[in-house]
Amino acid sequence: MKRLGLRARVTAVFALGALALSTALSSVAYQITRQNLLTERERTLVRSAYFDAVIVREGLRAENPAISEVLRGLDTGETRRPVLRREGQWFSRSADTGITDSIPVALQRLVSEGTPGTQRVDLDGEPAFVVGVPLDEVDTGFYEVTTLAELERTFNVLATVLGVAALGTTLAGAALGVYASRRVLEPLTGVARAADEIATGDISARVARDTDPDLDRLAVAFNSMVDAVQAKADADRRFAGDVSHELRSPLQTLSAATSVLARRRDSLEPRTAAAVDLLTEEVTRFEQLVSDLLVLSRSDLPAERRPTDVVGLVRGIARQRGLTEEQIEVTGDGSRPEVDQRRFEQILVNLLDNADRHGGGAVRVGICTDPVLVRLEVDDEGPGVPPDERELVFDRFARGRAASARGGTDGTGLGLALVKQHALAHRGSVQIADRPGGGARFVVELPAREGS
Amino acid sequence: MRVLSQARTAPGHHGRVARLLIVEDDDRIRLSLKMALEDEGYTVKDVPTAEEGLADHAANPADLVLVDLMLPGMDGFDCIRSLRKLGDVPIVVVSARDDTHDVVAALEAGADDYVVKPVAVKELSARLRALKRRARGSGGDAPKTLRFGEIELRPEAGEVQLGEDPVHLTRTEFRLLCELADQQGRVLSRQQLLDRVWGYEVFGDDRLVDVHVGRLRRKIERDPANPKHLLTVRGLGYKLQA
Repeated sequence: MKRLGLRARVTAVFALGALALSTALSSVAYQITRQNLLTERERTLVRSAYFDAVIVREGLRAENPAISEVLRGLDTGETRRPVLRREGQWFSRSADTGITDSIPVALQRLVSEGTPGTQRVDLDGEPAFVVGVPLDEVDTGFYEVTTLAELERTFNVLATVLGVAALGTTLAGAALGVYASRRVLEPLTGVARAADEIATGDISARVARDTDPDLDRLAVAFNSMVDAVQAKADADRRFAGDVSHELRSPLQTLSAATSVLARRRDSLEPRTAAAVDLLTEEVTRFEQLVSDLLVLSRSDLPAERRPTDVVGLVRGIARQRGLTEEQIEVTGDGSRPEVDQRRFEQILVNLLDNADRHGGGAVRVGICTDPVLVRLEVDDEGPGVPPDERELVFDRFARGRAASARGGTDGTGLGLALVKQHALAHRGSVQIADRPGGGARFVVELPAREGS
Repeated sequence: MRVLSQARTAPGHHGRVARLLIVEDDDRIRLSLKMALEDEGYTVKDVPTAEEGLADHAANPADLVLVDLMLPGMDGFDCIRSLRKLGDVPIVVVSARDDTHDVVAALEAGADDYVVKPVAVKELSARLRALKRRARGSGGDAPKTLRFGEIELRPEAGEVQLGEDPVHLTRTEFRLLCELADQQGRVLSRQQLLDRVWGYEVFGDDRLVDVHVGRLRRKIERDPANPKHLLTVRGLGYKLQA
């Protein structure tokens, strides 16, 4: 099972805490209130019953009393229902027949033995309260049965109110949990966002300082970490830039001098000519390496986007590299995306170079433009790239294992790294897929404009 | 042994071997470039300082000049400006620096093209050839005059007038103007201009076009900040209209 996030857990703890607390408080409040109300009510009923019993006793003193009349004469309100048991016979008001069944035998016995008693009973499914008072004649008991339905309804209302209150408290607790966790985690969200931005190439991203001193420490620590990393990266880049820059002048001499030699190649003896060939080849590669290194040392600068005729560019470059019209596939709506033209050119050229070196030459170049995305594909018919090496080949100088397996160690080892850097500078991506029919397909996708 | 000019490809026009001046303070680069370009058929004069280069050019005007930017004494930028004052000789900067600031400053100073070291001799030679090409006439025998508002252009004669005043353009500026004029108000993309004016089929540098258009505007527009004739078409390129 997926573990819940910190925020969800904090919220849950707050909610559960609030639930437990409010439930406990509500139950206690309910119990106490109920008990008090019941006790109070019962005491009142007992008092009323005694009062009524006195009146009944007086009524019974008359000669040949009309018991029903006596009972009817009681002021019992709506809820108290008086009955009398005399010499094994029940007397009640006509409206109250049938309630005598609810008076428990145990209570009757108690009363008939001369002891007053009370008992809670069930009357037609509703709670009721019976007060039994012995009258001072032998074997005469006066009872008052009172339904407590009204009180029970009050209890229900009370329970509902308390339940709703408990639920509200729980929700409030949960809301508090959401707020608290968000408040506490907010700096983390900021840090995460900044880290994301940095990971996708925006090294200038920083976390906003927090007003809370406890949380501010996190922002400050994070920012200073990024500063340190950036300083290190800058130093590395400057070094790479300086080195390649310093190599440029001697390379210019090498290049020009080599071309002087190469021009006379045919008049040289074979051994010397072979050496000149090697020299020419290596100088060319060296030039490319230095140029790639320089570009790479700057490649994490943001892309200089401008509306660009990428279709025209792709056509021009692909034709120059010997691809036929059939091999250049143009799709999409032909819109002009905003890309960094030089980076885009280099992406295509490097992918074509890569196809030449490792895939027997490109067999298809696809360019698809729409207002949102530019998609460039370069297909070759080489051995393809095994899935577990598809990330590795984009590393700098990754020619080692991955590339030599693809059958070549020429090139600078920076070509694909540059492709990736250029794609990232556009906040785009580069991926390797299998070409239908065998070979590798390099797919570069760039957002057509900043932030799209 | 000194390698002599072989003049096989004869880059000069009218049968004359083109004279190339190299201003470069690094002896090894200067010597190797001289040899390699002599192999390409140029007569090469090489000097280590801007001052010597200017003196040489004044005494014996070169057909093309290669200039390094970092020079002892007068720097490359000043050298370019001084050469511009002397005439419209095509100037190619050959520099190890390639940040935008340097490229634009050199072009603003008046350079026609900018290549970054190390440049292959073949490539450099192609650049020089492109600059040496004459502005392409619009064809026809009769000297033609094209008008764009106040701007009068006579491609064959190589003359431009703004109203009554003759305008002096460098060779590259003139070719840029002719290519735009040739399109009669249609838009040319930067890439097309790079191809037609500088001979870059692909991989040309947009900054070349932009800076030259800016320079051209300062010469042929009454208000260069609000051009009326040489217009930028955002996302597409430039056009010249009446």
